[in-house]
Formats: sequence, structure tokens, C-alpha cells
Amino acid sequence: MAGEFPVQPVKLTLGGYLSSYDAQRRSRLQLNLEQSMLLSELLLQLDIPVSEVDLVAVNGEQTNLAEAWIAPGDKVELYPPMGGG
Amino acid sequence: MPNGSSGKILHVNLTDNEITEELFGDDLYRLFPGGKGLAGYLLLRDLPAHTDPLSPENILILANGLLTGAPLSTATRFTAAAKSPLTGGYGESEAGGYWGPELKMVGYEAVEIKGRAPSPVYLAIIDGQAAICDARHLWGQEPDWVEMQIRAELVSDKARVLQIGLAGENLVRYAGLTHELRHYNGRNGIGAVMGSKNLKAVAVRSSSGRYTNFAAHPQALLDLGKRFSKEAKNHPPSWDLHEKGTLPLVSAFNAAGMLPTHNFQSGSFAGADHINWETIEQEILSGHRSCYACVIRCKPEVKPGGKYNLSQTYGGPEYEAVSGFGSDCGVDDLGAVAYANELCNRYVMDTISTSATIAFAMECFERGLIGLDDTGGLELRFGNAGAMLQAVEWIARRQGFGDLLAEGSYRAAQKIGGDALDYAIQVKGQELSFHEPRGKVAVGLGFAVSEIGADHLVSIHDTLLQNPASVSFKGAQALGINNALPARLLNDEKVSQYFLFENWVSLGKVLGLCYFGPAPRSFMQACDVVAAVQAASGWEIDLNELLKIGERATNLARMFNVREGFTRADDRLPERMFQPLKGGALTGVAYPREEFEQALTHLYRLKGWDPGTAAPTRTQLEKLGLEFLVNGR
Repeated sequence: MAGEFPVQPVKLTLGGYLSSYDAQRRSRLQLNLEQSMLLSELLLQLDIPVSEVDLVAVNGEQTNLAEAWIAPGDKVELYPPMGGG
Repeated sequence: MPNGSSGKILHVNLTDNEITEELFGDDLYRLFPGGKGLAGYLLLRDLPAHTDPLSPENILILANGLLTGAPLSTATRFTAAAKSPLTGGYGESEAGGYWGPELKMVGYEAVEIKGRAPSPVYLAIIDGQAAICDARHLWGQEPDWVEMQIRAELVSDKARVLQIGLAGENLVRYAGLTHELRHYNGRNGIGAVMGSKNLKAVAVRSSSGRYTNFAAHPQALLDLGKRFSKEAKNHPPSWDLHEKGTLPLVSAFNAAGMLPTHNFQSGSFAGADHINWETIEQEILSGHRSCYACVIRCKPEVKPGGKYNLSQTYGGPEYEAVSGFGSDCGVDDLGAVAYANELCNRYVMDTISTSATIAFAMECFERGLIGLDDTGGLELRFGNAGAMLQAVEWIARRQGFGDLLAEGSYRAAQKIGGDALDYAIQVKGQELSFHEPRGKVAVGLGFAVSEIGADHLVSIHDTLLQNPASVSFKGAQALGINNALPARLLNDEKVSQYFLFENWVSLGKVLGLCYFGPAPRSFMQACDVVAAVQAASGWEIDLNELLKIGERATNLARMFNVREGFTRADDRLPERMFQPLKGGALTGVAYPREEFEQALTHLYRLKGWDPGTAAPTRTQLEKLGLEFLVNGR
């Protein structure tokens, strides 16, 4: 329809062992969101335990998981506690 | 009753061509049950102070841990120790793989080697018979050929061949050891010590030995092993190592502003996406291999070919090599990074010190402290992959400018002069592994106090302990940790946590456990480690005694350094760490200088060391059963 643009997907990176909580063990997902939402709400829907999320970056900026909102087109990186090796 | 040990040490004097056995009893073994503990004890007992590390008088110890070779995932590691030619202090490096388990099965807890052979030799220990064999035809040859040739000569295609490469022969101060062509004792220059003895290799093979022959309760160990295998698979941080190895650290650290870049000037690398796990998996990874009886299988393998004609012979790059030759040297050409790793493996030298020393030289070049006349025409700028690869070649051969870099960044900086020492990112002469102290302060504390110089495997990383609901933190609670602390907080409680984990990690090096075995990094809970030791040794032993064993081993290493003249002034961090990071999420963050000095003092008090000298007190030595060191100080 004229005047409509395709909705940009959210590009989600599940760093480190967070990919193990995805049924297909993917470390990179593309999700279609209709509107902005709380990141913690999305993680709940994806069965990714927030207790294992140690670092959140939205569009390259570190942010607090509890306060993070995401919108269509955002690039979201999540990492668990990592160290050593 | 068996106690997990054969009770035997093999002594080899290469000068006199003499091989003897030493028997030891349960009393000694309970104080020093292998690995780092046994190696430290033997070095302090048998090596005179102030020995030149590259002289025949230096002693090379190859020591198994109590659990090395037990049928338990991650119980694979052995310690290679000597006075380090890189630091001048206690030198030590662990490796997993298969060599340690084979030595256990052949019936020795340790091999102690002194002297220097008049011409190159190798040592063969086959089914309890040891012999010194001519290796003149093996000197200068590549590890794959050397391994094949030794196996043919010993008529044993399953002999495990621990060997030095070209770097060890050429006395590169950070040369290592390799076996099975993909397991490395990388750090501290133990390969140069072996090279200085004209010892090319140590081959071991047991046709019938079993670890369980030495165990007090073999069935209990086997049962534990089965349970561990299941638990490793159900523990996400452990099983991620199975699927990806250590490579996911690249993206995680870059996002956190903690990926060492351009010789630790920045914590963020613009080319990180070119060298992260996803790219490595797509472009060069072919799978993973394992160590003895370990389900984790974290060792990466590469596809052959590509622009740099990568070989599958020597295994693929892990996180340290990728960050070292990648972000720290500013190189985003993945093929070049993997090839630099391959060259280090082929020549058998530490990827960490090699890449860090090249990054140091790049900074010196960019700041005008050295020029093309000094580098033999190498344009050693950050990002120049070709110059980096040439430097690796020259270091291994001690050719041209490589001869200076083969000395390590500390000695090279002294010769370059000017401000060069400011750009040598090292502690006690050993280069930092690629973990950012300004983002993980306890890792920084470990870099500073570690007896072997800067290394990342001396305690638990702060980032694993800041989230109280995480799997990692839950694993720490059984060790007595109650409070989750921010990764950048350096206070007395953080220091107390550091001290506990230093003892715990040191214990792992005594027992022969990989860093990827015990909690909080991985699946093996504190009670599991106690159960494994009880099953192997038959000892009534608890967690407190085990932590004391770890602490005792650290005190041995410390006493070695005290004897050599090390003081509190040597427990330091590079000045760069006290300057703000430039670039990345931690831009502007510096290591807290004042808190660092307070932390050192608090740590020494916790350890029972004199805060002025950083040496164990007489009371502390007696408390740890190390009275024999009191008079020798």
C-alpha cells in the first residue's frame, strides 16, 4: 500500500551461553516488533532468564536491562556473565 | 591403601646421563598433592637461589596433579615449572591434553630434569623404562615431523610427545611446550629452559596403565565422572565452551569496553566484528577437539586453505590469540590473526607474550621511539598484518629485529630506552593476557601479585560474581561468597573474595583441574571437588584443607620469589592501567591507584604476609607446614 514502509526487524544478539536458551540455539535472531516494548518483557516471551543477562547494549550503547525499551530496527546485544579463559 | 599417587618421581641429570627414582610418602603428598604444589616444593628443595634460568643448573619440573588422568572431565592438566627466563622468578605453565594422564599411567607423579646434554636428546619413558635418546636429527625440525619420528623410533604410535619448537631451541624467553601438536604450556618461557638443556622432547607411553590403579575408591571416581559429564552438558556456561570455546569473549568484551586494543590503549576495537566468534565460525572454524576424557571439547580446529593457506596441523586460535593478534595489534584480518596463531603454535611460543610484545613494538614505532632502521624495514604500525606476521617469524628465529622482541617487552623496552617502558604492558617481565584490569579490578590485582607475572588464571574474574542470581554466582556461594560486588569495585570485601578464589584456583593447579572445570566458572561444584579428592586419595579431607593446599602452593611460589629478591615493589600494575581508557564503553575509566595500594596491604594481611616486604611471615610458614623454609630465607 502506498505510504507504508516495511517494519525493520530488531536484530538481537544472544552472546555467549545465552544462545543455549533459544530452542534453536541461535546467537543471532531477527524479530518483528509491531511497537516499542520493554526488553525484559521480550526476554520473558523468549524464555531467556534475565538472571543470566549481565550486559545489555542497544544500538551500541550500554543500558540497564530493567529500563531498556526497544523499538523496531534496534540492534540489541545481550551478554551473560563472562570471564576467564 | 592407594592415595591417587604412584609415590614416584623420576630424576634425570642430562649432564651425567643419569636416571634415578625418588620415592615419597603420603605425608609429603598430602601437603603437596601434585602440580603446582609438588613443583614448587621440588624447586625450593633442589634449585639453588640465584641460578641463571638458562644455565644447566636450572631445574625443569613436569608434575601431574592428584587428579590428572582421573576419569573426570577437565582433570587433564599438568604443570611445567622452572625458574623463568622471562621473569627471573618462579616459572610455571599448565596444559591439558593427554601428556599428563599418560605420565600418570606410566607411573610417575613428576619428572625432574637438570643439567645439559652435550648434544640434543629426547627422554623416553615407556612402560616404566626411561632412556635418554639422541635427538640431533630432530633439532630444527617442525613438531609434526618430530612427533612422527619419535613415535617411529619408539615403535609406539600412541606415545605422547611433549616437545619444544624452534622458539625453545633459540631460547626465545617466552617459548613454550606442546604435545599432540595442539596442547600448549605457553607461559613463562619454560620452552627456553628445556631448549637450554638440549632437550628436544619427553615422550611417554603406558600400554596398560590406568588412573584407577592408583585410586583409593575407583568405582566412586567412575560414578563421579559419569555424573560430571551429565552436569557439564546441563550447565550453560560450561556447555557454551563445548559449542564455541572461548571465542565469544571477543564480542562480549568489546561491548563492555574491555577488549584490549592497540596495546591496551582502548577497550573497543572497530574491527571486532571481523574477528568475533560468529565470523570465525563462518569463515575458518571446522570443529572442536578434546582433552583426555573431557566432554567439554573446547579446543578449536580450523579449515585448511584460504588466503594464508591455514593448516589443520596445529589447532586453531582461542580467545587470547584472537584478541592479542587481533584487537591488541589492531588487525581485523581474521586470516592473518589465525595464521599468526598457527606460526606461534608451529614454533611453540606463547601467543600472549608474542602478540603483546609485537603490540608494544607497534606503539613504540608509532610514537617514533624506533624507526625502519631499527625494525629492519618493518612498518610496525597497528593494523599492519604483514608486518605482524613477519615479526612472528623473526622472533622465533631470533632474526634481525626479532632478536630484540624475543627478549620480551620488558627487556626490549630497556634497550629501546626513552619512554618505552611505559608501553611495555607487563608485570614482573611477563606480558598481560588480554583482560582489562580497568573493567575487572580483581583480575588486575591478580596480574599484580601473581608470582609468575601477569596472568589471567590466578583467580576468578569479577564479571562472574556481580550478578547474584546468575549460575556463576550460585556456584560461588558454596565457597562462602555471600555478596555480589560490582566488577569495578575495589574494597576490602572484594580483596577477601579475591583471596578465597586465588586459593581455589591455585588448588585446581595442584590437583590438575582445568580452569573450565570447577565452579564458579564451570559445572564442578565445591562439594564435587572434595568428593573427587576423597575418592582418589582416600583421605578424610574437607574444603578448608583443600583451600589450604591451594594457599600453600602459592606460598611456595612466593617464597621462591622472595629468595630471588622480589619485594612488594614487584607486585605492581603497568602505569597505563592507572590512566583512563580511551575508547569504548569504559572511556575515561582508570584503575583506582589509591585503592590498589590499600588492596595490596589488605591482601598481604589476609595472606599472613608482611605488608612491607610482601613475604610470608614465619608464623604463616609454620601454619602452612612450611617450617623448612623458615631458615632458608
